Amino acid sequence: MSISRRVFIRSGGLALFSFGLDPLFLARAALASYRPLPPTAALSRPVLVCLFQRGAVDGLNMVVPHGESLYYGERPRIAVPASDVVDLDGHFGLHPQLAALKPLWDNKSLGVIHAVGSPDSTRSHFDAQDYMESGTPGVKSTADGWLNRYCRHDREHEDTPFRAVAFGPQLPRILAGSAPSLAIDDLQAFGLRAPQGAARDRLTRAFEQLYAGSATGLLSSSSQEAFEAVQLLQRANPAQYRPANDAEYPRGRLGRSLQQIAQLIKGNLGLQVAFADVTGWDTHVNQGASEGQLAARLAELGQGLAAFARDLGDKLRDVVVLTMSEFGRTIRENGNIGTDHGHATAMLVMGGPVNGGRVLGRWPGLDPASRFEGRDLAVTTDFRDLFGEVLARHLGATDLSAVFPGFTPNPVRFPGVIRS
Amino acid sequence: MQNPVLARLLTLTAAVASLGAWQSAPHQSAQRQPPTLTPHDSALHALNRLAYGPRPGEVDAVAAGGVMNWIDRQLSPDQLDDRLVAERTVKFRILRYDSGDLARLYAAARKERRERQQGGQVEQMGRQLAGEVEQLAVVRAALSRRQLYEVMVDFWANHFNVFFGKGADRVLAPSYIEETLRPRAFGKFADLLIATARSPAMLFYLDNWESVAPGSTPPALTRPRLHARSWFGRGRYEPGFSREPAQADSQRRRALERMPKGINENYARELLELHTLGVDGGYTQQDVVEVARIFTGWSIKRPQQGGGFEFHDWAHDYGEKTVLGVRFSAGHGMDEGVRLLKLLASLPATMHHVSRKLCQRLVNDEPPDGCVDDAVAAWERSSGDMREVVRAIVRGPDFWAPENIRAKVKTPLEFVVSAVRAVGGDPDTTPRLAQVVARLGQPLYRHVAPDGYPEREAAWVNSGALLDRMNVAVALAAGRLPGVTVALDSLALATADAEQLMAAVNDGILGGTMSDNTRRVIREQLAEAPDPVAARALAVGLALGGPEFQRR
Repeated sequence: MSISRRVFIRSGGLALFSFGLDPLFLARAALASYRPLPPTAALSRPVLVCLFQRGAVDGLNMVVPHGESLYYGERPRIAVPASDVVDLDGHFGLHPQLAALKPLWDNKSLGVIHAVGSPDSTRSHFDAQDYMESGTPGVKSTADGWLNRYCRHDREHEDTPFRAVAFGPQLPRILAGSAPSLAIDDLQAFGLRAPQGAARDRLTRAFEQLYAGSATGLLSSSSQEAFEAVQLLQRANPAQYRPANDAEYPRGRLGRSLQQIAQLIKGNLGLQVAFADVTGWDTHVNQGASEGQLAARLAELGQGLAAFARDLGDKLRDVVVLTMSEFGRTIRENGNIGTDHGHATAMLVMGGPVNGGRVLGRWPGLDPASRFEGRDLAVTTDFRDLFGEVLARHLGATDLSAVFPGFTPNPVRFPGVIRS
Repeated sequence: MQNPVLARLLTLTAAVASLGAWQSAPHQSAQRQPPTLTPHDSALHALNRLAYGPRPGEVDAVAAGGVMNWIDRQLSPDQLDDRLVAERTVKFRILRYDSGDLARLYAAARKERRERQQGGQVEQMGRQLAGEVEQLAVVRAALSRRQLYEVMVDFWANHFNVFFGKGADRVLAPSYIEETLRPRAFGKFADLLIATARSPAMLFYLDNWESVAPGSTPPALTRPRLHARSWFGRGRYEPGFSREPAQADSQRRRALERMPKGINENYARELLELHTLGVDGGYTQQDVVEVARIFTGWSIKRPQQGGGFEFHDWAHDYGEKTVLGVRFSAGHGMDEGVRLLKLLASLPATMHHVSRKLCQRLVNDEPPDGCVDDAVAAWERSSGDMREVVRAIVRGPDFWAPENIRAKVKTPLEFVVSAVRAVGGDPDTTPRLAQVVARLGQPLYRHVAPDGYPEREAAWVNSGALLDRMNVAVALAAGRLPGVTVALDSLALATADAEQLMAAVNDGILGGTMSDNTRRVIREQLAEAPDPVAARALAVGLALGGPEFQRR
């Protein structure tokens, strides 16, 4: 049997080592064989939730360096006044619309990492998102995403149908690859659709029998996974879900995604990696300051994260939420009372295991001499060091070089977002 | 020693002799058994691989006329009357606009959005037009009589992938499909390669339009007030510089700051790795750099305004280069790029790489070596005529070998289109059917990475996507799938007679491949469905969503 180099690279040396030269579907089937988790294991299973702020969030207005006069000098019309900022440490403060997150900061389960980004200098949304999801800045031909590579390489954790889930109509680039992962638009609609429950159950059984008896290869193993997932979910009964502790998710896509992630976590369905998009950050025009366009997006983000933490309650101790965005925006405001594509940005890290209550990363300052290409906030933390730390210290990943090919993660450079 | 190519030709003659429509004298082969395909099964196989599956009655028609005759006609698409599709495509407004029109339209839509006119007319039209590009591909695949041609267009759209969602590519992409790829889908590979290299869509997608020799500056930026033009529209517009001198100077300074500062290797790398030699094609990083130097200056006239190809001699590196040991002497301009593309198109590694991908598409995810060898031999004989390469693959014994029948899992596009064809479906011009393809995991022209959609089943088969396929099948059979009208009567008349329904479904949808298990399950289900219309929808839905129909 000949196997192309691309396939070899995609399925990884480890997979071939473990499975000999079995066809990929056998590897997938073995990866996916589901065993119900013992209750104790389920309780301590760590979960990573990634939120992608597509469009490049203005990190300087999300986490404001209000202690720096240059910030106000460069942004006469869009700076957040120091009197409005939710102060964090005397130098940085949260945008007022993120006030809902302050209690999490105070109890040390929210951290900020500033001046983080890509070593690649591109200011194209497309390229920068691509690099942040493939995990290989500057290399376009990487076929899979880093979250998928993590799932493929980390065999410490058992696979369940819901191990890796993206909320949205399509699987994002970050989860593309050969490890099984699901794209779910709506948890309640997952499975066969029919007008009534009885008809749905009959249809589900019919297809299950069709595939059990007639499918071969990958069609067989994947359909088995699919019907297991349907069954598991039915038991968890998402239609009956009520958020705990009076948590109120904001209306809209983000709130819905976060609530469904909470459902999966609380249902002990084996979720380990979740992903969702948050759009609307490309604020070239009329960005606003304490109020306005960006403020409205931040309000939704802040309320969403706060509701998620509240809903999870004790379970938050196993969960880390990480926000990311392809790049930051210009330090100086533009002629349209907005900002253009820049370089470094800020990312939020929330959850029980987080080394919270501090702004991490080396702050390069806004001084023109220390700017990237003379105009943008410089990157002092490679996003792979941040993502790598979360994978290693939170999820227990052992082989980061397989997750970020061409990069040698070094714990010395980890920004320290996870409590040791 | 026997000539392997000759031996395989003999085998092939023997193989197709049994198909009942081959004119040459039969020969016996000691190496391979001739396939045991009946004319019906060979027609089904050809329609599954060289077309998007059979429409009702088509298997019998192709079998009766001779499958090799049908293939020969498919290889000369211009001779096939395609009035139905021609009549349908005139309804697509996207075909009436050029890149410049689209650029103006999208600019107006952006302005509308900025001025907060939600759901404004122009914006709505922009969205509709964007959807039309995808839907057009689905409609052509479903309705065209030039099926093999449409299969080839799809193959090239992936081989020379461009992500339509990247900035100006939204504007540049329609012409990429219509003017760059479609006219050359059955032509010489070198022509296709050169056309893609010059296409604004590719130049923008892989950044070559910004690739300049280090230190070069456009004339408008070095000669103040000579002529108000800008060269790189990195923001939203390139309005040219102000008439007011101080303002013009500051604009010029800003434009200079934003000027690309050197070569960009993206296109060069993908040209070698994906478009021609393949990842193991024997090139080095230094070759990539030299190729990028050769293509400096291949650019676009104002991409945000939908401009065409433009060679910037001021941005070109006129120094000497060496690629794969071949010297390109100093002093050459755009001509050396064309020379390089012709060289790449003729190299054995390219022939092998592209032939292998074609065999992967048409024969097996893991293409047999013999099939690739046949294709390469035809490539050499015909100087890269893709029609001859495809002909060689289809006439080769591997194409008809039992282990390759139904060996491929359908991509979402193939699944949706073949299901629509199976039920005599007629898609409309709204993007709804293309959205179904997207939901199943294959948004057309929106594959982000330059490698295009993969030809391996592992990329398509996962639990979520399988459940979605079942839902699509059930909805289509019930006539509830938006964007398409079905003609179930052309497949089977509504009846509560389970045996009659199963026979029709087995024959019309599964080509007679229904397994005992499938038969048993459908029979059990039909026992609980007394209503004739509901029973037919159920039988068709289960067959389309079941495992047999996922293969081709």
